Amino acid sequence: MWQIIKNEWRFLSRSRALLGVSLGLAGILFLSVFLGHQQTQSQVAAQQEAKAHLRAQWENIEGMNPHSAAHYGTYVFKPSSLLGSLDEGVNGVTGNVLRVEGHVQNEIVHSEASQMQAASAFGKLKGSLLLQYIVPLLLIFLAFHAVSSEQQSGRLKLLVLQGASSTAIIWGKTLTVWIYGLGLLLVTIGTYTLLYLQAFTTDMLNRSLLFFLTYALYYFVISGLTVFLSAYWQRATLALTTMLGVWILWTIFVPSILMSAVERWHELPSRNSFQTAMRADRAEGLDGHNPADERTKVLEEQTLAEYGVDSLSQLPINFDGLVMQADEEYGNQVWDKHFGNLRTVLERQKNSYQLAGIFNPFVSLQNASRGFAATDNLHHHHFLLQVEDYRRVFIKTLNDEHAFGGSTTGDWGWEADNTFFKSVADFEYEPVRLSSVLPTYAPDVALLLLWVGLVNLLLVLASKKLRVI
Amino acid sequence: MSWLSTYLYEWKHLSHSRFKLVALLLYLGAAVYGLHNGASLYNDRVTEIERIQQKAQEDRNTYLAYYEAGEKGPEDRPWVDVTSPFWAVWYSNVYHFKRPSSAMVYSIGQAEQYGYYKRVSFWASPLDADMTQEIANPERLQTSSLDFAFVFLFLQPVLLLILLYNLKSAEVEEGIFPLIEVQTTNSQGWLLSRVGFYLSILVVLNLGLLFYGALLTGVLKTAAVAFWQLLLFGLFYLLLWTGLYYLVLRRGKTIMGNTLLMAGIWLLLVFVVPAGVQQRVSIQMPANLMADFIDAKRDERTAIFNQPDSVLQAQLFALFPEIVNSPVANDSTKINLARNQSSSSLANELTKASVVKIEQENQTRNSLLRASYWFNPVMYFQNRFNSIAHTHYDNYEQFRQEIQILIDRQIKIMVLDTWEDIEVNEEQFQEYAKTLSVL
Repeated sequence: MWQIIKNEWRFLSRSRALLGVSLGLAGILFLSVFLGHQQTQSQVAAQQEAKAHLRAQWENIEGMNPHSAAHYGTYVFKPSSLLGSLDEGVNGVTGNVLRVEGHVQNEIVHSEASQMQAASAFGKLKGSLLLQYIVPLLLIFLAFHAVSSEQQSGRLKLLVLQGASSTAIIWGKTLTVWIYGLGLLLVTIGTYTLLYLQAFTTDMLNRSLLFFLTYALYYFVISGLTVFLSAYWQRATLALTTMLGVWILWTIFVPSILMSAVERWHELPSRNSFQTAMRADRAEGLDGHNPADERTKVLEEQTLAEYGVDSLSQLPINFDGLVMQADEEYGNQVWDKHFGNLRTVLERQKNSYQLAGIFNPFVSLQNASRGFAATDNLHHHHFLLQVEDYRRVFIKTLNDEHAFGGSTTGDWGWEADNTFFKSVADFEYEPVRLSSVLPTYAPDVALLLLWVGLVNLLLVLASKKLRVI
Repeated sequence: MSWLSTYLYEWKHLSHSRFKLVALLLYLGAAVYGLHNGASLYNDRVTEIERIQQKAQEDRNTYLAYYEAGEKGPEDRPWVDVTSPFWAVWYSNVYHFKRPSSAMVYSIGQAEQYGYYKRVSFWASPLDADMTQEIANPERLQTSSLDFAFVFLFLQPVLLLILLYNLKSAEVEEGIFPLIEVQTTNSQGWLLSRVGFYLSILVVLNLGLLFYGALLTGVLKTAAVAFWQLLLFGLFYLLLWTGLYYLVLRRGKTIMGNTLLMAGIWLLLVFVVPAGVQQRVSIQMPANLMADFIDAKRDERTAIFNQPDSVLQAQLFALFPEIVNSPVANDSTKINLARNQSSSSLANELTKASVVKIEQENQTRNSLLRASYWFNPVMYFQNRFNSIAHTHYDNYEQFRQEIQILIDRQIKIMVLDTWEDIEVNEEQFQEYAKTLSVL
């Protein structure tokens, strides 16, 4: 079989057109990763500048009432994932700026897509665009006449007479095309590794390896299936047109149709009804029978009892701070309920979409690619949750200062000093560890493996049925 | 051989080619699905707008009841006085909507990247957080919505490729092309008429699809111009691809070679060029993180409120010279409240200035993209389609401008009436709601 692979490579290297296309594609792949790196760098620089600017404003607050500071709030900018140079995922369509303040959990806003007219239906020129759409097509073009041309030219008979088994021929042809795909994959990952060598962590290494693995599996499916069709149809044109049809269905038709369908099966609420429901829960209580006023009364009685006094004016602390924190905590429960529901719907959508990998391996590849590049919706939600966790600590710190910092109830003119504001920690994003999200992508990898198994079976079938004469 | 006989032969050929028929059916199916997606979004938006309008009217009626009952406002908000212009304008509860065009059925465009309704108040701005997109799965948004425009612009060239890939080259490969040259005397005309046949089929098919889409949302009744514009630009687009493929077929001699070249052109124009252009624009102008806007909404606004009263008043007088000699300007008991209530007008000037800069930056991005049209035709047509369906960036920028006009008007009325010491009654309140919501 190795002799066949060697011969195939010798044959391929003689084709000047292929050499030109290969060099051109490798060049574009190199360029795509390099440009992706440039874009990430410029975005990171802009984020760092904006973050430093806002932090300086916060640290320069000379004196401010903590509750006013909660309204003044802060802003968090969505950090760029270094793996985003390979696959941008959802980052172009999600927002970049999130306001962190008291009383309300804001939404992330100002997406890149909203800042310009339509520019590309398939995203930027990232490695993933070429690896998902263009490279498979090239593999199809390399493999569609792999067997049929040998049959037509009579070389197949010659190969068999020389002692090559049909299995070796079929597998040799498949592996040759697959190795070619791996070569292009290596150019991409290699360029990426070189560009980020200094920032490379174990997590990034593992993610890159898995990224490589999923594409390698997909390329095997494409190469093997095309070789199978080439042997099965015995007519190159038919094999090519069938595979082109499969490619269009897998990469263009099915993903778009499925994503729309999945959103209909598991419907998300409209923004207005979602916010109305949240406002109602916050005002009337989660059970609808526990309005804010009554909750405040209960808290007042508890606090007076705790401090052994009869009125709020006798309290040594500022009761307003306690009320606001209690309201925040209630609001947090409301948020957890509603955003939890939203997350559940989105998870259901993802799970349903993942299942489509059973009949479309491209779906599994796409899911795994943006998942391992840390740019899918799951990672986006992890970021949002981290910001919300930070918001809770941030607001509690301010409310505690309001309650216990030295003021008394009703003293809205009291101000915390600069030392306090400097002591409030800034938001630091903790990248999601691969191990914590790996189970989510296990079905995608498993389905790709299943497809590899299926293609293996087809290749075995093709080698058994191969007609030499 | 006449054109008619070529057409008849080609019809026979097509009806025997299962591959081409399946491709046609798939295209048809995807286009119909895309049209229903567009219609569904259009209907959802119309329904949501009606719901919000109804709720806003209900809320307004609640406040109207205070006038009828002779009350100042809600019991638990003793500071509210609905007879003052400040609170009356605040409770006018005005929304502004980006009403979808019925032509949205053809192109969803950028509609899902922006909010389409906004409660207008004198503290609002067109870039507020509530102007963000509807709740949607970002992975779906990233995958690109399958609307009619997507099918027409990205999949139709593939369909055309499938319909044309073996024209002439099949005859050349089978060795019968010299015979055809003898029979037809004009082989280029023969090829042209065959290509023309498939072009005609697609024109008829697309016309049917456009009419079907028009039935779903009533385009011909409400946006007939959009229908004809789409038809015209659709025809240009189809001619562009047909022309490109015709050149390939005319010069090519093998099915493989032609298929490869046509697929290469498609990949280049649909994937590589637009993606490369977007990448270039993103490097040159990274996403704006709105630091200027944040400053205007926060620090600069706080600075206004911290100014001495005399400075604040001078700024207000400069902005509204009409109030210099107003009754409240000469009433020391009312001037403080009026000054505070009018401060939103100064904050509005700050945010307006920052929004202008952001919009200009966005337009620079758009200019960069537009400059690429001569080698990026697919995106030219995509943006044309979006524009015709009123789902283009510019349509949403227009929506933001309209919001700003309404904010300005609200502020002006609130400030002038406050300083004129006008007492708002039921009729005036209703007049506010009307004046403040109509452009």
